[in-house]
Amino acid sequence: MAFELPSSVYSPELLDSVIYELEQYLAWYRQAKVQQKVGARPPAEPSYSAETSQVIKAWLSDKKPSMTAIEELQAHLKSLKLPVVHVTLAALPNHTQRTQLVDWFRALAQHPMLISFVADRTLGGGIVVRTPNRIFDMSWRQRLVEGRSKLGEIVTRV
Amino acid sequence: MELLILGAVALVLTAVVVVQSYQLRRLRRHEQEMAGQPKPIKVTEPTAAELEAKLKSAYEAQIAASVQVFGEDLKATSGRLGEQVSRLTTTVIEEELSAYQKTLDEVRATATTAMEQIRAAVEQQRVELHQHMEADLAAERQRLVEQFNAKLGDVVASYIAESLGGGVDLGAQMQFIVSSLEAHKDDIKKDLTDGL
Repeated sequence: MAFELPSSVYSPELLDSVIYELEQYLAWYRQAKVQQKVGARPPAEPSYSAETSQVIKAWLSDKKPSMTAIEELQAHLKSLKLPVVHVTLAALPNHTQRTQLVDWFRALAQHPMLISFVADRTLGGGIVVRTPNRIFDMSWRQRLVEGRSKLGEIVTRV
Repeated sequence: MELLILGAVALVLTAVVVVQSYQLRRLRRHEQEMAGQPKPIKVTEPTAAELEAKLKSAYEAQIAASVQVFGEDLKATSGRLGEQVSRLTTTVIEEELSAYQKTLDEVRATATTAMEQIRAAVEQQRVELHQHMEADLAAERQRLVEQFNAKLGDVVASYIAESLGGGVDLGAQMQFIVSSLEAHKDDIKKDLTDGL
């Protein structure tokens, strides 16, 4: 079964965070192993996020848990070249709104991808989507800018 | 030419008068000489006086007739000469006037043509200037309107963005956001697929 990045890891930042936590875990494991050999007390196991846990579960679904598998996972995640969609909104979306937008993009693309959320209050509202090659500006600011001629007509009419 | 003829006639008549006077003088002198010489023929005094009187009267009659003829010829010649001079003068004046009129017409035509050309050039320049000014005015007006609209648009956009500020409610916008995404769904999908 092919590995699929869990939907909870939707952004480049989250992916980097997962990779970082895996690195931390591997470093801890190696250090704990050495300290265990010399009889020293190993340091406390580092905590990791729910997203990292989900990634590990997805990766080990058909594999035997081992440090080699974790190292392979880390290498695999680093080698991923996923398209990134940058979404700019007037404010940062909450969890529900993020999930709604991520689901929409993933359903549309039908292949793994990452979504980066950025807030820009000068947009006023709406959304700006930057895909690898294009920018789709559907913000209120853009609508207002496009409607300059209408503004002139309104001013003349009034 | 007529003057020459008239002069020649006058000269001839003068010569005739001079010749006649000379002959008359010569005749008198001859008579005086003949009177001083012995006369082969004896003519009585009354007869001689009568002959002389007759000769004198005949001569005077001849002179008078000649003078009358000469006068009449002179008068006729003078009349014809006057007519010729008058005709000649009239013809010359008419020709000169005609040439003058022709020259005047040509000058007037040239001046009229030049004036027409100048008027046409001035009119053309006026029309071009008018068109350029109208185009410039329209362009300037359009530029100002666009500048005003752009400024106004920026002002309104900035005002709205500033007014909304941090109070943006994405929850209320989600329906609009999703519908906007749906409107561009095909383009976004195409770019995501091409961007792989």
